Amino acid sequence: MANGWRRGRLRAALALLAAAIALAVLAPWLATHDPRRAVPEEQFQPPSATHYFGTDLLGRDVFSRTLYGGGRTLGVALLTVLIALGPGLAIGIAAGYGGRWLDAGLMMLMDALLAFPSLILALALIALLGSGTVQVALAVGIAGIPSYARVTRAAVIQARSLPFVEAARALGAGPRAILWRHIVPTAAPSLLAFAGVTLSWALLNGAALMFLGYGGDIAAPEWGVMLADGRAAFRNAPWVALAPGSALSVTVLAINLLAGGLAEHPADG
Amino acid sequence: MLTSASMRRRLPVSLGVLGVLIAILCLAGVVVALLALRAGLDDKDGGNRIVYGLTLNPSGFDPHIHISNELGIPFYSIYDTLIYRHPQTMDFVPGLAERWEMAPDGLSWTFALRRDVTFHDGTPFNAQAVAANLDRITNPELASGKALALLGPYTGYTVVDDFTITLHLSEPYAPLLDGLSQVYLGMASPAALREYSKNTYQWHQVGTGPYRLEEIVPGDRIILRRNPEYAWGPVFYAEATDQSVDTVEFRFYTDPATRSLALESDAVQMIGELLPTDVELLLGNTQLRVLRVPIPGLPQQFFFNTKRAPTDELAVRQALLYATNRTEIVDAVFQGQSPVAHGPLTATTPFYDPAVEALYPFDPTFAQSLLLGAGYGDSDNDGIWDRDGEPLRLTMIFPSWNQTPEVAQLIQSEWRDIGIEVELIRVPDFPTLRSYALEGDFHLIAFYDFGVEASLLNQFYMTGGANNWSGFSDSELDGWLHEAVRQVDAGTRAALYSSVQQRIMEQAVVLPIREYVNLNGTTARLDGVIFSAQGWWPLLRNLQLRP
Repeated sequence: MANGWRRGRLRAALALLAAAIALAVLAPWLATHDPRRAVPEEQFQPPSATHYFGTDLLGRDVFSRTLYGGGRTLGVALLTVLIALGPGLAIGIAAGYGGRWLDAGLMMLMDALLAFPSLILALALIALLGSGTVQVALAVGIAGIPSYARVTRAAVIQARSLPFVEAARALGAGPRAILWRHIVPTAAPSLLAFAGVTLSWALLNGAALMFLGYGGDIAAPEWGVMLADGRAAFRNAPWVALAPGSALSVTVLAINLLAGGLAEHPADG
Repeated sequence: MLTSASMRRRLPVSLGVLGVLIAILCLAGVVVALLALRAGLDDKDGGNRIVYGLTLNPSGFDPHIHISNELGIPFYSIYDTLIYRHPQTMDFVPGLAERWEMAPDGLSWTFALRRDVTFHDGTPFNAQAVAANLDRITNPELASGKALALLGPYTGYTVVDDFTITLHLSEPYAPLLDGLSQVYLGMASPAALREYSKNTYQWHQVGTGPYRLEEIVPGDRIILRRNPEYAWGPVFYAEATDQSVDTVEFRFYTDPATRSLALESDAVQMIGELLPTDVELLLGNTQLRVLRVPIPGLPQQFFFNTKRAPTDELAVRQALLYATNRTEIVDAVFQGQSPVAHGPLTATTPFYDPAVEALYPFDPTFAQSLLLGAGYGDSDNDGIWDRDGEPLRLTMIFPSWNQTPEVAQLIQSEWRDIGIEVELIRVPDFPTLRSYALEGDFHLIAFYDFGVEASLLNQFYMTGGANNWSGFSDSELDGWLHEAVRQVDAGTRAALYSSVQQRIMEQAVVLPIREYVNLNGTTARLDGVIFSAQGWWPLLRNLQLRP
C-alpha cells in the first residue's frame, strides 16, 4: 500500500514535470499574446478571459510571459546541470578511483570551494563573467561542481568496496572494465537522484541571479526577472509575481518529488 | 545548498542539541527585551521625535567633498549658507550674509555678515570663519566634487573686517549666488575643521544651522537634535514652537518597495521617493499625506550619441523624438504623477522656455517619413528597417534606479512598432554608466542632474564639457552658454537660455522623458512640510508634529 502511494506520487511528479517542459516548449503555439509587446493602456489588468494571468506594469500578458519564461528558466537550469555534471563526475571518479594523492589533492580543492555558499560563489563568478543568460548558467554550474564531485566520489568508493566488485578484481578484471561495468552502473542511481536535486537547485539559483538582474536582456520573459518586476507591483497586481512564483515552486516540487522517488526506488523510474 | 536525498532519514535530534537550542533561544529573548527597553528609554527623553526615511546610503556625507543630493536632506539643516533661495519665489534672501553687493565690473562680490551667529560648538561666526571654509574647499587635497565647481571662476578672498568679506572672480559669474545658497557651500565651524581630518570631519560636522548633528552610525542611522539657540534663520524659517521636532532620526530604505510599507506601519513619519504605483494606495489612507515635489534642473532623459552612426544624423535623432510617446510613458510608469518633459530644462527651473513644448509631438508616421528620407526602409521585410544592409539597431544604456528600466522597455516596444530595434543594457552603478559613456559604446544613455541654476546646462552641452556625453559640439551654442553665466541681468540671461533650449531641441541632442518629481509621504500629524528651492532638502525647522 505504501508502495502504491509512492508510485502514485512518482507518477504525479513525472506528469507535473512533463507538463512544465511541454508548456515551455509549446509556448509559441499556446501563448495568447506577444510576451514582449507593451500595451500601457492595459496596465495591471486582473486575470480575465483575454489575459488568463492578468497583465503587468507595461500591460504585457503575464500568461504568455510565464509560458515563454519557462523555456528560458528551464533551459538555463538544464545547461547549468550539464556544466556542473561533466567536470563534477570526472573529478569525483578520478578522486574515488584514482590514487590516494590524487584523491587528497582534488578533495582539498573541492572542500576549499565548498567553503563558499554556492550562491555567493556564483555571484563572485558573475562579477568575473559579466551578465547574460549563458553567464548565469556558467556561474551557477561552476559553483555546483564541488558538490557533484563529492557525491560522485562517495558513490564510487562505496561501490568499489562491494563484494562483487572485489570478486571481479580477484578474477583479474582490469581497472577500466571494473569502473565501467561494475562501479558506474552501481553508483548511477544515487548519482541520478542527486542530478535531480541539483536540477531544482540550479533552477532556483539561476532564477535568483536573474531576479537580481544578471540575466542580460531585461525585457525577455524569465521567471526570476518576472518575480523581480512583480515584486515592486505586488500591492497593486499580485498576479504579476504569483504566476512565475507558482510556476517556479511547482516545477521545483515536481523535480524534488521525482528525485526522492528515484532514490528510494530506482527500479520504478 | 546541496543536500543528499538520504539525509531526510537521519531524524532523531539528540537531547544535547535540543538543550543548546533552547539556551540560545532564551539568550536571544533576553537580548531582544534589553534592546526594546533601551529603545523605550530613548523615546522618553527625545521630546518630539520623528524618523525620516532616506532612500540611498551616500558614499560620503561631507557637503564640501561629496556630491549626493541625498546628503542635503539631513545636512541642509545642520548648516546655514551665506545666502538662501526662497523656496516659493526662488529669490535670493539673506542667510549668514545680511547684504551683498557686486562690484560694477562683476569681478568681486562683497558680503556683510551677521554678527549674532555662533556655531554649535560655541565658535563665533565671522569673516575668518568664511575664509577658513573657502580655504578648505579650494584645497586640492580635499578633492571637492561639487562645492568647488559651484564657486565658478573664483580666485580668492579678502577679509575686509571681522564681518565683511570679498570674493574675487577672474570673470563675471552670475551663478555665484545660487552656488552660495546650496548645502555644498554650508559654513562649517573652523574649530571643528581644525580638529578633524578631511576624512573624519564628516562624522563630526558642526555648523550654525537649526539642528545639531548628534550621532552618525554609517549605514544605520543619523540623529539630529534641535539647536535651541538658533535665532538667525532666513525669512522662510518658522519660529520654534512646542510642536517643533526636537529629534530627527534618519534611517535608510534603499529598497523602493519597502518605503510605503514603512510609512503605513508608522516606522517612519516622513520618507521620499515613493514608488509611483504605491501613491494611490497611500492616498486612500487618511493617516498619511503624499506631497509631489518637483525638482528643478534637467529632466529624466536620454542623451543621443551624436558621434556614432546612426544617431550622428539629425534626421534619425528627430525621428526617434517623434517616435516616442512620452505621455504614455509618464502615465504607465509614473502613474501620471510627473509632468511630461519637453526640453533640456524642467518647467520649474528659472529661464525655462515653453517654446520647446510644441517641437516634437508623438507622430510615428512622421518619424517613419523622416527615416525614409534618410534612406531607411524594410527591404528584407523582417519588420526591422535597414539601410545598405545594416538594420536600424540601437543600444540604450541606463541605470536600475528611477524606474529607468521600465521606461527603456516601453521605448523599446514603441520603437519596434515603427521598425527600430533597441538593445537594452542595464548597469548596476554610476561608474559603469560613465565607463560606457567614455567609451562611446551606446546610442542612447540615461543621464541627468538637478539644480535651480540654468548654467547647469554648461557641463552637459558645451563642447568638451565634463558631462557632455552626447559629444555634441556647436560653437554658437557654446557662445550663448558662456555669455549667459557672465550676464547678471535676468532679461539678458532669459533670452540667451531661450536660444540655448531651442537649439538643443532643434538639434535633437537629448530625448527628455519626464520632469523629476520627488514623491514624499508623511504622517498626517506632520505639518509645515516645505522643501528648499532645490526641491530635495526639507526645512526641518518648519516641521510641526501634532500629538
